[in-house]
Order: sequence, then C-alpha cells, then structure tokens
Amino acid sequence: MHAFPRPEEEYLAVERAPVAGTCPECGGGNLAEYPVLGEGGWWNVRKCQDCLASLERERGPLFGVYVPLGLEILRGAGG
Amino acid sequence: MLGVDVGGTFTDVVSVRDGRIEVAKVPSDPATPAAPVIEGARRLGVEGRPVFNHASTMGLNAVITRRLPKIGFLTTEGHRDMLTMGTVWRPLDAQTDAGWRRSFGDAARPLVPRYLRRGVTERLLPDGSVLTPLDEEQARRQLAVLARCRVEGVAICLLNAYVDATHEKRLRELAREVLGELPISLSSETSPLAKEYARASTTVVDVLMKLVYADYATELDRELRDLGFAGELNFADCAATLLPWEAALEQPFRIVVAGPAAGTVSCARLAETLADGNLICCDVGGTSTDVSLVRDFRPIVSNTFELEHDLVINALSTEVRSVGAGGGSIVSISATGDVLVGPASAGADPGPACYGRGGDAPTLTDACLLMGLLDPDGFAGGALRLDVELARAAFEALDTPLPLAQRVSFAYRIAAANVAEEVIDIAIRHGVDPRDFSLVAYGAAGPMLLPATLELLHVKRIVVPPHPGLFSAVGLLSADLVYSDSRSAYVVLGPGTAGTVAAVFEEMEERLRRRVGADRDDVEIRRSFDGRLYGQSWETPFVAVPEGPIDEETIPELVERFHDEYERRFGNRFPMLPVQGVTYRVQLVVPTDKVEYARLEPRDASTAPRRTLELRYLADEPLHAAEHERETLSSGSRVEGPAVIREALSTTFVYPGQVATVGGVGELVIERTAGAD
Amino acid sequence: MEATTVSTGATLIRDLDANAFLQRYRCDRFTATVLASRFGYVVEHMCSQLLTTAFSPILRDFYDFAATVTGPPSADYATPAVSNSIILFTGTMTDSVRNTVEEYGPARLEPGDVIVANDPYRTGTHINDLLFCRPVFHAGELVGLVNLKAHHLDMGGSVPGGFSATKTNVYENGLVLSPRALYRAGRPVQETWSLIFDNVRFGSFMFPDMQTICANLELGERLLLETVERYGAEAVLGAIEYVCDAAAERMTLALEAVPDGIWEAEDFVDCDGIDDTEAYRVHVRLTKRGGRAEVDLSGTSRQARSCINGTALDAKSTVGTAFKYVLDPRTPFTSGTLRPIDVVVPPGTIVSALPPDGAVFLYWEGTQALIAAILRAFAQVLGDAAIAGDHGSANLHNAGGVLPNGTPWVSVGQCGGEQGAYGATVDGDADTFTLSYQANGIAPAVEATENDAPVAMLRHEIVPDTAGPGYHRGGSGVVRDSLWLQPAHHYAMPLRFRVPSGFGVNGGGDGETGGVWLWEPPADGVVRQRGAGEDDYRDAVPVTGHLDPETHAPSRSGEYVWFGREPLWRTQPLAVLRYVSNGGGGWGDPLEREPERVKVDVRDGYVSVTGAARDYGVVVTGDPDDDPEGLAVDLEATERLRASRREQR
Repeated sequence: MHAFPRPEEEYLAVERAPVAGTCPECGGGNLAEYPVLGEGGWWNVRKCQDCLASLERERGPLFGVYVPLGLEILRGAGG
Repeated sequence: MLGVDVGGTFTDVVSVRDGRIEVAKVPSDPATPAAPVIEGARRLGVEGRPVFNHASTMGLNAVITRRLPKIGFLTTEGHRDMLTMGTVWRPLDAQTDAGWRRSFGDAARPLVPRYLRRGVTERLLPDGSVLTPLDEEQARRQLAVLARCRVEGVAICLLNAYVDATHEKRLRELAREVLGELPISLSSETSPLAKEYARASTTVVDVLMKLVYADYATELDRELRDLGFAGELNFADCAATLLPWEAALEQPFRIVVAGPAAGTVSCARLAETLADGNLICCDVGGTSTDVSLVRDFRPIVSNTFELEHDLVINALSTEVRSVGAGGGSIVSISATGDVLVGPASAGADPGPACYGRGGDAPTLTDACLLMGLLDPDGFAGGALRLDVELARAAFEALDTPLPLAQRVSFAYRIAAANVAEEVIDIAIRHGVDPRDFSLVAYGAAGPMLLPATLELLHVKRIVVPPHPGLFSAVGLLSADLVYSDSRSAYVVLGPGTAGTVAAVFEEMEERLRRRVGADRDDVEIRRSFDGRLYGQSWETPFVAVPEGPIDEETIPELVERFHDEYERRFGNRFPMLPVQGVTYRVQLVVPTDKVEYARLEPRDASTAPRRTLELRYLADEPLHAAEHERETLSSGSRVEGPAVIREALSTTFVYPGQVATVGGVGELVIERTAGAD
Repeated sequence: MEATTVSTGATLIRDLDANAFLQRYRCDRFTATVLASRFGYVVEHMCSQLLTTAFSPILRDFYDFAATVTGPPSADYATPAVSNSIILFTGTMTDSVRNTVEEYGPARLEPGDVIVANDPYRTGTHINDLLFCRPVFHAGELVGLVNLKAHHLDMGGSVPGGFSATKTNVYENGLVLSPRALYRAGRPVQETWSLIFDNVRFGSFMFPDMQTICANLELGERLLLETVERYGAEAVLGAIEYVCDAAAERMTLALEAVPDGIWEAEDFVDCDGIDDTEAYRVHVRLTKRGGRAEVDLSGTSRQARSCINGTALDAKSTVGTAFKYVLDPRTPFTSGTLRPIDVVVPPGTIVSALPPDGAVFLYWEGTQALIAAILRAFAQVLGDAAIAGDHGSANLHNAGGVLPNGTPWVSVGQCGGEQGAYGATVDGDADTFTLSYQANGIAPAVEATENDAPVAMLRHEIVPDTAGPGYHRGGSGVVRDSLWLQPAHHYAMPLRFRVPSGFGVNGGGDGETGGVWLWEPPADGVVRQRGAGEDDYRDAVPVTGHLDPETHAPSRSGEYVWFGREPLWRTQPLAVLRYVSNGGGGWGDPLEREPERVKVDVRDGYVSVTGAARDYGVVVTGDPDDDPEGLAVDLEATERLRASRREQR
C-alpha cells in the first residue's frame, strides 16, 4: 500500500498466526508466524513462542507495509 | 638555567649549562612540596643561574583529588546551579551509560557544594544596563552565611559581569567588610569573557589556586634566595609559557598544570634548531601517550582547557590529546578474545610486572622486555633490574588461547596502531596533512614504540631528539616569557565599531606594558581576537590583529582576516555573513634565555654495533638486530634496521626496513628505506 | 547470508582456535582486532572532520549526525561501526543505508557516486536528516559503503526549520527525497542539487555544509580503501562479520544473565497538536528466553494527527538503545547488537507512523515514551540494575519576533525545559541538567542566549522536593524563567506532563511533574524573582501541565491543561515564561537512605525540611538557609517516623 488512512481503532496489535509443528530446540508446539523488525530489517518469521527460536526467517518487504507509489512504475502495476 | 617539573612521583630538576644537560631526581612529597625542589636545586647548584623555571601538577592534583580549601561562590540569584550544570554534555562513550555522573556535579564531587553557592539579588543586561540593582542588604545576609561556614576564599561571578564589573567590585567590598581579608577572585578581573559557566569555573579555580600556591611559592622564592639564587623564578602556565612568580600568583588559574605543554614547547625549540617547522609531538609516558602539534614553529594552542570532562577553565593551553598507550599501560583480553592495551595503567607503583614491585598485570614495558628491546640490566641507566620471568608469567596468566608470542607481539603492535590513529585524528581536527610533518618521539619509551607507527602513518620521518627521556623537562628551558590578557565584547564588526575594539585593546595593552615596565622596547606584542560568523554558537579563536592603531580602516581588515582564518581552519568561506568579534587577546612576549642545542662535530666514529641481539615475536623467526650505543654515533652515522640504539634512559628501535641517520645536533632521523614495504 | 539467530550453544568467539578463527573470519585474530578498531576510527575521523568544518550549530552543539562504515550488499550491509554521535540515529543507520541502496539499485553504483535520501518512512528520523551514502570500490568490486546522516537547517514545508508539533501530513512537512544520485562518478548531479536548493530555506548555509559532508565521505572512502589495500578485501569483509558477531555475542550473553520471563509496561505522550482528547500510549510486552528477546508493541496507540510520530525504524533504534542502557552500555553499537532481539511492531502507531497522515517530526517524543516503557518492563526483573525514568521530553521552546529597528530575531532551544533530570541507578543519585536518554549536547550559555535574543534568563535552577525520592535520589525538576524584553511569539511543544516520566525503580519514588506557565507583564514594571512553591502560580496563565485548577501548581489530582489551545503564545515586553521539567525517578527505598545523606540534601536545597520528613522519614532540625552547617538529624524522631511509615505500607 502507498497511502494509509489513520487507523480507526485506538490501539493496534500484530496478529500472530498459529501454525502446526514442533520446535526443534525446545520441543514445544507453540509456533506462530508474524512479521518482525530485527537485524537486517523486516522479516516474516515462524517462531517458537516458548523459546523464541526462529524456525524460518523469510525476508520481508524493504519498508514494511509501505510501498511508495512511484516504485510501481517499474513493476507495471498500480498500488 | 634551571627548570623543575614537580610531578606526582618525582620532582625533576634539570640544569643546562654550556649545552650540557644534568638532572636531579628527588621523590616528590605532597606534605612539603617545596622541599624536594630546593633539594634538587641545591644538588645542581643555583649560583650564577639566570632563571629558575617551575612547572607543577600540584594545582591539577589538588582539583582531581578534591583536596581543596573551602570556598564560597556568589552569583546572580537564580543561577547558582551553573557550576553543577557545566555545558551539560556527556562524554560520547558514556552516552548510553546511565551510571555515568558529571564528576563535578552535586551528585558526585562538586568543587563548591551547593550550600556555599549563594545567589545575590542583582541583574545586569548584556548591554550593561541594570535590570535589578544590587541589593546590598540581601548580599550581606548571604556573606554572613559564608562567614558562619568559615570559608577561606570567595569566587564571585555575576551574569554579564564581563560587560560591567560594578556589581562584582561592590560585592568584593562587602565581602571584605563581612569576611575580612581573604582571597577573593572576581570573574570580571580573572577572565572577563562571555559565557558564564567557563568564566565562573575559571574564577573558582583561581581562588582555589591562590590558596594552594601562595605559601608554596613564597617559600620557594625565599629558600632559593637563601641558597644564593639571584635570577628570576618563573612559573609555567598551561601553555608552558612563563611568568615571573608574583605575576603568576595574581591569576593562578593559569598555572593549574604545566606538565604536558612543556614537551610541545620543547618540540617548538627543536623545530627552530632543525629548521623543520611542522612537527607531530608524541610523548610516550608511563600511563599514556600525549599527542600535540607544532605548526609553523609554534605549538597549537586552545583557548580553553578541561581539568576533567567539561570542567573548563579559560586558560590558553597547548592542545594535547592522550591515548592509553604508555609503558605502564596494562595488556588485557576482551570478552571476545581481542588483545587490548590500556587505558588502565599500572602507573609507577606497582608498575609493570617486570619491575618486581608486586604488579602482576602485563604491560607494554613487559612486552618490550620479552621482545628483547629492553636490556634487563640497563634499564633507567641501570637503576632498576627488570625481571624477564615476571614479565613472562604476567603474559602467561592472561586468559586466552593465544600463544605467548602472539600475546606479546599483538600488544606491541596494537599500542602502535592506537597511537597512529590518534595522530591521524588530531591531524584531521586541525586540517593538516601528516605527510608534511615529522613525528618527534620522546618520553623514555617513545623511541622504542613510535618507529613502529612509521609503518602505519604517512609522516615525513621520525625524529628522536637528544635525551628523549628528559626532553619535556628541557621544554621549561625553551619557553617564552609571556604576559597576556583577554576580554570579551560582542561587536558585529562594521562601520562605527573601531572605537569599541580599539578601546578594548588599548586598555589591555596599557595595563600589560605598565606591568612589564613601560620603558622596555624589546617586547613583542601579539594581538588576536576570537570571532564568529553571526548565527554560530562557537568562536574561531586567534584571528591575528595587525599592529598599530585600530581605526575605521582596520575593521574591514579584521573581517577579511577572520574569513581567511576560518577558511584556513575549516575549508569554507562565508563572505556574505557578518562577523562578530567576541574575545580580544593581547600577549606581550619578553625575551628570555633558552636552551641551545650543541652542534655535533662529525668525527670519525665507528658505526660498528656493540653486539647482535635476538629480537623475538616480531616475525615468525627471531630477528637479528644490531645493538648500538647512541653516544658512539656521530653526525652523519647511518644505522639500518632492524637495530637497537641504547642510551642511559632510553632505547630506540629501528624497525626492519627503516634507517636511522644521526643529524647535526645528535638527533636520530628515522625513515623508511626506499622500496621498503 | 549467515543465520540470523545466535545458537546459544555455539563456541564463544574468544575460545576459537587460530584455525577456526581464520576459517570463519578470513583473517587472523590480530588483523581482526586491528580492523575492529580501524572501523571505529574511520567513523571517528569522519566525525572529527565534520565537527571541524560544519557551519550549522545543531551539528556542532548536538552532534546531530552519524557516520557509519557498512559492508556491501553481499554482506547484507553489516555495519561494524556507528559513530558515537546522536543516540537517536544509532539504530536507524543500519537499515537506512540498506533501504536506500536497495531502492536505488546496487548494480547502478559506481566509484565516486553519492546517493542522498531523507524519507522518514524509508530511512527513519525526520526529513531534515539527509542520508548520504558513498560506495567504496576496490579492484572493480563494491567492498563497502561509507555513510553520513546529518541534520540540515531546513527542508521546506510550512514551518521554518521544521520544529513543530502541529504539521498534519507529509505535504506540510517538507521536501521528501527518495534515494537519488547527488554525485555520479565524482560529478555533481545538477538536478538533485537544484531539487534540494529550490525547496529549502537558509540554502546559503546548507550549501557549504553539504559540500563538507561530501568531502567527509571522500575521507571515509580513502581511509577504508587504504585499509582494504593494506589487509585485503577478504580480511576486511571477514573483520566486518567478526565485529558484528562479537556485538551479537555480547548482547546474547548479557541476556542470558537476566532471568527468563515476560514483562509488560506502558508509558504515555500527553496529546498531539490537534487537541487533548487523546493521550497516546506506548505499550511494551518484553519476552526474554535464554539469550533471546522479543519486544512486542501491540497495544500501542494509533499514530497521532500531527507530527509527533516516529517510524518503525525509530522504534527499532530505541529498542536497541534501551537494551544498550540496560545490558551493554559502553561498547560501540553495530548492526549485530540487535541480532538476538526481534521487534514486533504494528504498522500505523505513534512509533510506526505511515504516510501521508502520520506526519513525522518530533519523532523522539514518542520514542522517549517507548524507552521509558522498556526500562519500566526491565525494572520488574532487574532489581539493583534497574534504571529510573528521566525528565522525558525535549521540552523544546522556540520563540521569535521583530526588534524595534525592524530586525527579526529567533531563539531556538534556549529557553524551554531542554535540560532536566536523569533517573537514579545503583551507582548513586542522578545528575540534573542533562538532555533526555536519547540525546546529548552542549547547552547554550545564558549570556550567549541574551546576546542572540531580547530575553533575560531570570532563573535556571533545580526545584526542591521534585526529585523522585529513593535510597539514591533522582535528578530534580529544573525551573527556567525567561523575561521577554520585546514583543514575542512562542512555540511550546512539551509532551510528557500528564504522567510522571521520572518513574522510580527498585522501591524508589516517582519524580514530580512540571509544567509551563506565563506571567503577564507586571503593572508596576518592576521585575521580580518568583518562587516555585505551591502558592507561586495563582496569578500565572497555565500553558500546560497536570495542574490544580485553583493554584495552577502541578498536581496529580488536578487536570491536564493543553498547550495547543493557542497555536502561538504571544507575549508583551516584561512577560515571564516558565518551564519546569519533570523530576527523575528514585532508586531503592527512600526510608533506607542514610539520614546523613538526607541532611546533606536539605543543606544543599535539594530537599526541604518538610520533604525530608514526608519523603524520607528523616527529621532534620535547623535552618538550611541561614545556618546550613548547623543542621542536625533527630535520630530518635527519625526512627519513630520511619517505623510508622513502614507500618503504613
């Protein structure tokens, strides 16, 4: 998205999507997927919610949810 | 000539007679500080000496240890916290350290506790007009509190008093009435410069130094005369320029410390002798390496000086930067396994492990001993036998998987790298190119460590002066006798301002001339001003002001000179911006005796080495280095590295790929041989 | 790239043998050590040169810039050295260089280029902070970048200089520069220079500063190239990795020393520049497991309607700063510092605002609440090592007007509540007169301020009994009274008075809140000093604060007064403006503070006789004003008072 209206809700939250699986480090089954900002920028991670081990870290978009409209010109698509 | 450098551990008295340098080293004694000085002078003889030049760290030590007399501080009501505030900034390396405290703040160790800092009802505006008249009754009440607390001196600094001293002077009269005769310093007399904090802290230090130095100086003068000394007793200030002792005691904040600056002054004298005006001065001491610059034959001087972080005084001082790489700097291992040198130091006591005085931490000196650079039996003229086994044990005790050879060589090379980076930084700060500079290596350990930096730095060459271990002390016999004064007035330089500027200079010059003796015509007058581009919050110091009367035609020239100086220092020119004069300075330089370097006659001396040494840890295989006695070398001698050149108090290490040549006054000039990598 | 989690069972770097070290870092340990300090020195040398040559006071006095050495894209822009300059820039530098170069296209870079960018949503901080990146090539390969971000005097927009709490969108804020070339192959790109200088005020000052910055980058490039030539590109790249790994390892080990747990905390920004109906909450949920941590900002308020927002990169930077304060205060910051920490941040909050309506300028006000919330969360587990809250806001004040002769004047950041309290720590009582936890700088002298603007500073002092009490006392509130000698208008933007920002820790008390007031010119024209007691505010016009409606003095039970009800506060000659900043938090139980130390505080005016009894349970007798050395502690009465205080708990 390139333009964001002010959120309607007064307080905002990040959704953590539960996923099935087992943590290879602690053996727990409490896994979730969500975006984080860490070393190297934005990542979409699958993490153990008990020991915080990352099972997967996939690089997220450069500016998070923000995509400047001008960048679309080379992708041949709008917003 | 005699000079004395009163240090924390030793009092060094240095004599130069007929080009011969002699030293008497007497243990310092904080309880009776004058006694070792007199003892040293007695040993070397005072009769017939024209000058006795004195430098001391006594004032600085009193401040740093807070062994200070109790004084009061009077300021404009509402502003007594200027002394706990400073200029506010924290050191950059403590920026995310919530445990850091301002050393002179009320939460740590204030020079004057808050209850002795009292506000007085009065207020001047920056144009000198009175917003609130001095309330004498209220002032007396504040003075009565100081009397009840039995203060020994009073510092007075009112806001905007650099413009008008009336209120400060009246307060002094009231103080005398209430408190009787005791040392009082007024900011309008001590340092009439704008910006209240530095002026106030200068005034506070001034009163403290009056109390610290007065009896000492009087005693020193009396006892020297008793010994038969008939010359001048001079005190060196923070820039190692000299003042007759009575004059120095009128504004003793200037003599709070003089040690490091003396080395730079010594370099400036060497610059004249060698006709090489651009020098990087590196003094490798016990706890640190001090780096300073001589440009165009003169030390680079700052207009302020910090006794501790942000504890500022308005003293002209030689700009010296320190890096924790001295002989006693401790070698340690970081959490991630790096070999580190300094900033912690074993100091003189217990000293390096090899001294055998109970120090068990390895130091740079221990590394040099293990490498074979130091002669265990010939250290400090044989005064101290160094124990190789203790040095080895100290390095072996480090918690690291690195082999001994690497621990030692890393320590030596990292110390050299740290010094090299500091040299680059000070050069960048002053916009100079190290390639145009020679590096002077002094301090007893300087010639042993600094040639290694030639491999990292693009300097012209390294110069090891005669007697590198005494070189700083000799600086006291190389200094100018200088009377100086300064005051502030914010003036945007333009038409109609010549009168103001001229009046400021005339007043200062007349006072200085009266002091020196109006009839003297052999004095040199140096004028300058600190100015700023309108809108800047800091000043560009020491813009030269021409001689002669200051009139309407001088003002455009001042503006032009400001732009020139600004461009020279900072690389940019802003001719469209108005220039504001802030502080005006005058120096009267009086001719005085200085040390002369004796020319070395070329003689047919052998450059054959005394023996061949094995140097360890510098390369995979031991290096075979020639060992020379410095006194056997003569002008023109060449020594190819790797080589070690010994003298009583120092060792010079000529690195592989370098060559040392002996110059006209016995200095060693070290350069990289052509094609050396 | 390397794995981005630290496996805590891995061999520590210090225990690697020579071979393993060489394998991992392509150089030996000595070279790695020398290069580690070399990277630090390269940025330090760049800063030295910039400080020496910059025109702009904000660079000289507030170090409002940062320099970095950054690895090439193949090393994922690993950043081994960030200069010790403004704390606010520290953590955004790493991401902003990556984002800028990636958008511009690393393949387009060639030797002698300089890329410039300033969009907060891409590079963090605010639009006046221009980021300059210069690629460093060796033997035709991109081996790294040297970078500098520096505050510039103006970037256009509706407020000269930009400092304001009232701009409502990116269009008012000023010129946005997406990454573009400022130099290509050593030659200036004319249209970029024109784009900038056609849109900014004070261009004639900014122009040489920008040239200076470009010269600085050349110095950085030269120093880095010399290093590559001496040690080889492989060793340099290996050492970059080494430095970042070392920082990550230090943080991991420090985290391992903290007990595992989950802690939540929050802090607040009073309001925005539109009205006072919405206080902005920053909520933190801190999870710590072994050597890893996660900071989740869910529960944080949506972005403000005017430019007090920060971006997600600022939130990340602040998390890094908070963790440095708590766990690793003295070592240099690198991109590896944050390796064991993930930040979970919902888009569109006050600390992760989005365009075009989430305007960003006073970004540090929101992130000050964030650092406070993190410190509050840590305080629940750290015990002795907890850090109390500071005065919390920049409390920036700007004013301006026109002299009778027609000359305009401005006063910038000289007369507000910029300097205030720190929070206490295990190390002792806190300092007063500092900038906030995310800033540092030189305060203007009163005499310089009075030369710049028609103002007389009547008072700049601590206020008794405002420090958070504790075994170690917090810093105090600071009162600053400015007397305006000419008609003036004032921009006030204080944002942390609703809730005490100086929270106490480990049993310590909160510092008092402050406020801003105005006194109209006195009818008789006589200037008087005013006290800062409860009864001194009745005749004042409250500008802002949480104040008693009757007395106008700060009060927890009072009500919030909003500064924005006047967009500009106008004053006539001899009006007095007062700022009082918040007191800092105390550390440890005040009833345990040695009575002698309380007596010293009474002697020195940090605490009153009444305050000593109320806050510390210490009964001090005597007259602190007239006979400060004659004070005494009534030990028996103190014992009794403290016993009854403990019972009341």
